[in-house]
Amino acid sequence: MSREAYQVPTGSQAANPAAVGKSFDAYGGGAAEVGPQMQYLCGDCGLKFQMRRGDAIRCKECGCRILYKERTKRMVQFEAR
Amino acid sequence: MAPFVKPSEAELERRRTIQINDETVTNISSTDFPGHYPGEDNSWSFETFKNTFRVEHHYLTPAESSFSLIGADAAIANALRRILISEIPTLAIETVYVYNNTSVIQDEVLCHRLGLIPFTGSKKGIREFLRWRRKAEDGTPGPVYDYNTVQLRLQVECTRNPSAAPDEREPTKLYHHAHVYARDIEFVPAGRQADLFQAPEDIIRPVNPDILVAKLRPGQVIDLQMHMHKGVGADHAKFSPVATASYRLLPTITITRPILGRDADKFARCFPRGVIALERVSAAEANTPGSGYEGHEGEKKAVVADPMKDTVSRECLRHPEFEGKVKLGRRRDHFIFSIESTGQWDSDELLLEAIKTMKKKCERLEKQVINMVR
Amino acid sequence: MPGRTDEETNADVRMEEDGAPTSHQPDNEEEFEDAQQFPEEEDEEDDSEQRVRILPGSTDSAASFEFRNENHTLGNALRYIIMKNPDVEFCAYSIPHPSEPLMNLRIQTYDGTAVAALSKGLKDLQDMCDHMFEEFSRTRDAFLNEMRD
Repeated sequence: MSREAYQVPTGSQAANPAAVGKSFDAYGGGAAEVGPQMQYLCGDCGLKFQMRRGDAIRCKECGCRILYKERTKRMVQFEAR
Repeated sequence: MAPFVKPSEAELERRRTIQINDETVTNISSTDFPGHYPGEDNSWSFETFKNTFRVEHHYLTPAESSFSLIGADAAIANALRRILISEIPTLAIETVYVYNNTSVIQDEVLCHRLGLIPFTGSKKGIREFLRWRRKAEDGTPGPVYDYNTVQLRLQVECTRNPSAAPDEREPTKLYHHAHVYARDIEFVPAGRQADLFQAPEDIIRPVNPDILVAKLRPGQVIDLQMHMHKGVGADHAKFSPVATASYRLLPTITITRPILGRDADKFARCFPRGVIALERVSAAEANTPGSGYEGHEGEKKAVVADPMKDTVSRECLRHPEFEGKVKLGRRRDHFIFSIESTGQWDSDELLLEAIKTMKKKCERLEKQVINMVR
Repeated sequence: MPGRTDEETNADVRMEEDGAPTSHQPDNEEEFEDAQQFPEEEDEEDDSEQRVRILPGSTDSAASFEFRNENHTLGNALRYIIMKNPDVEFCAYSIPHPSEPLMNLRIQTYDGTAVAALSKGLKDLQDMCDHMFEEFSRTRDAFLNEMRD
């Protein structure tokens, strides 16, 4: 399977390439609400929450600035070498 | 043709001793080949080999063994050692399917660690039932069957221990599954494996259940499946059936002139304990002219007790008082083997298996040579 | 290189399209095939491939052989046992390059062919193995008995 086929796990299946393209020039502008929602994990309290491009990089509960992406839900195969 | 000349015992002794001097080693190569010494018969003879080859066992447990092969050439001893390390097949984890791993240890590293864990199980099942996983036509790994693959599973999740004392600091008490050990790996029998690896002593399991695989904190999960295949050490060290397999040549120590009194004490201290013993010069020795013991009756003298224990540090060659009194060497045809098994084979089976492997190699090549000529 | 693979059943096809190595998929019981019979071939190693050849320039009494998938293990043992043959004038082995799985063996004879010397060497090695096997088993059993007493 090629890298291109890899799909980022998202909470809502709103991953729409057209929407991403549009939000490019709108970066930092008022249109920051567009773009896919991403699932993040708080590094401190472990809260799972969704964020969009342009959102403040902070946990919605505790304000921690360290966030993790979720691990893929796919099985990953390795050679034990 | 003139009858063959037989070399004297002293000459043979000289030939089979490698001399170890203070800065050099001499007489290092075998010379027992036809044509090397005019008039002597050094050709291969099975009868001669039968009479001269000996095995002495020193130590033997399933995990570790030590023995001497006496009367074999270095080429043979080394072939056996190399086969022990790289050509005797064992079963080891080869592929890991990671469903989830939220521990701090990366997938790749975790899988590598899993691969190196030595496993054991029914000898009959592993050696007779399980086979190589064949390659498909295009060279990719072939299909998996119950006779070439063993499935394992590791599923652990770390949770808080509600009954832990409030001031507890020790993670293993504070949490459940804070440490993931090799014993947490479960065997998943497939097909006929269920019968073959049924009994508790036959089940596929880690040799040492206490190998630490990973550490977890509450909420972290490891969930993976593993496939084990047969392989050889030449492919990857995890398949090697031995932790170490090595040999050394038997050291020889020859005291050519008496070492007496305080020198004898010092001489003994030049060697590991037990190599040199101290005895008293007897009246008979003291009365023998030319022995070097004249007038030393009752004094201590150094004698060689057990050269096998020597490490050949050559310390005794550094001291002027022993100059010309001692000769160090090694016996060319005496190989002291030391084998440590990783647990899938018993240590004494390993050498036998190595010999079998070498024979099989020759058998195969013999056929190949016949084929080549045809 | 570990490759990312897919859990879906059509993963095999997709992987081939991408040119990635076909790797076995997770162990749904259906994919783990229970062959009720062993493959027909008894010998586990593939013997069909010719692994020994005579190198060009060889004559009957002076030949070089090339062994594929052999190394110092057999090379040196074979060299030793062939050198023990009084009909052999010269025998040596080499590994021409460490990254090729090849071992070359040169035999020159006074009498008889080089191929005969090679065959005799292989036979002698087998005899030696037989005796070592017996001697080791015998002394081991004796040693174990002695330890028990």
